Amino acid sequence: MRTHAQNRAPSLRVDRSACAGHGLCYGAAPDIVDSDDQGYPVVVAESVPQERRDQLDALVEMCPERALSVEPPTRKG
Amino acid sequence: MTTTQLPDRLIVDFDVYDQTLAMPEDVFQERAAALRAIGPVVYSKAHGGHWIVTRYEEIHQVLRDPETFSSYPNNLVNAGQGKFIPIELDPPEHTYYRQALQPLFSPKRMKELEPRIRDVINELIDDFAARGEAEFISEFAHELPTRVFLALMGWPLEDAEMFTTTTDVALQGVPGGTEEESATAREAAANQIFGYFGAIVAGVRSGEITSDTLTAQIINTPIEMGDGVRLLTDEELYRMFFLLLIAGLHTVQGSLAWAIIHLANNPGQRQEIVDDPDTVSAAVEEILRIEAAVIAGRRATRDVEIGGVTIREGDQLIVLLCSANRDGAEFEDPDELRVDRSPNRHLSFGAGPHRCIGSHLARIELKLAMEEIHKRLPDYRLVPEDPPILHATQVRGCIRLPITFTPAS
Repeated sequence: MRTHAQNRAPSLRVDRSACAGHGLCYGAAPDIVDSDDQGYPVVVAESVPQERRDQLDALVEMCPERALSVEPPTRKG
Repeated sequence: MTTTQLPDRLIVDFDVYDQTLAMPEDVFQERAAALRAIGPVVYSKAHGGHWIVTRYEEIHQVLRDPETFSSYPNNLVNAGQGKFIPIELDPPEHTYYRQALQPLFSPKRMKELEPRIRDVINELIDDFAARGEAEFISEFAHELPTRVFLALMGWPLEDAEMFTTTTDVALQGVPGGTEEESATAREAAANQIFGYFGAIVAGVRSGEITSDTLTAQIINTPIEMGDGVRLLTDEELYRMFFLLLIAGLHTVQGSLAWAIIHLANNPGQRQEIVDDPDTVSAAVEEILRIEAAVIAGRRATRDVEIGGVTIREGDQLIVLLCSANRDGAEFEDPDELRVDRSPNRHLSFGAGPHRCIGSHLARIELKLAMEEIHKRLPDYRLVPEDPPILHATQVRGCIRLPITFTPAS
């Protein structure tokens, strides 16, 4: 599922150099982050509604490699 | 190995292959906790001397730095008569093999196996549910990963016993035997399994074996090496299949057993799973955390300071993943089983480039097993006069686990 980029909506960012493909993130929130055929995460939601911000923070927290971060809202939209 | 400047308090009497760590009673985690209390990195004189990394932060650092900490040798004993591939290769070489294997074990491909795995689980439970008692290892925890993995690889279930024996010997040697006896047995086991894989590889290459199994896919997948594209050689294939066999058969068996042991001992936590199957995924992560099977090995490629000690180039290390998972600096009340623990950044599958490639399959096997067991046998109990038998070594596990429960259909 893709959501449209909106003003003031944060998004999830994956640092691929840190990611080791644990898969906890896409297991927990498949509508935000999916897996590629190597098992690495691909962010599929360009942005996430502000009211799901807690869920984004939880994703960031669960990563054993600390490879996830929340990208602040962008101006495009 | 230079230990002259090492303070006495950092030298510990600990050998991961010492079976008294698990028998007659499993004290592995208590012993690991004692090491962790001494320091993040301690030293054992066993196996020619090696460092033992005990805490989460340092273990994570070692696993994420393959340039400084080579993964060969991964084992303190010569389990595979040479290198296991790809775990005992370092980047960049390791990366070529890893990228070729990874898509074959991807989360989406493993998810497609779910209906078949659930069927196997229910067939196994059907065989003992009405009896009200079972020996959980031989009737379930050993059988499930064996059947799933052999079907995936396309290896005959009739040969399961041979696979079990050879991998048991590779990991544990001859229990109670001398080091020489164990070494001889390991060599014979490796030769036997390499001969067996040789026949499979020859059959696929000659076109005699035509089924599209994971084995055939691995044999036929061209690998992009630094110097061009090629197929894996016969020997590379044997060393890869041997590793996959050990990883596929042994680790899930242990985790299934630990699930039963810890949940039977924590009925309140178990009730949460019985009442709400949505809790199973988080519960699986907590089961993985509370007892990690693997003790990984590394060797320093340069002098390096870590956890307050100086490790010299060429020094051997082991990292106790089960100890990282009980580190109070990372986990609140680490000795407590909490099926809803969050976050739960356990290191049971390792970390960094060698992180377990089979983790997606393992999670599915554990999740579906937990769902069906708690649906069908929700009140399983241990048998106090016939307690579980566990074993140490670099892949910890469980050999025997009698349980009773209210008979079910």
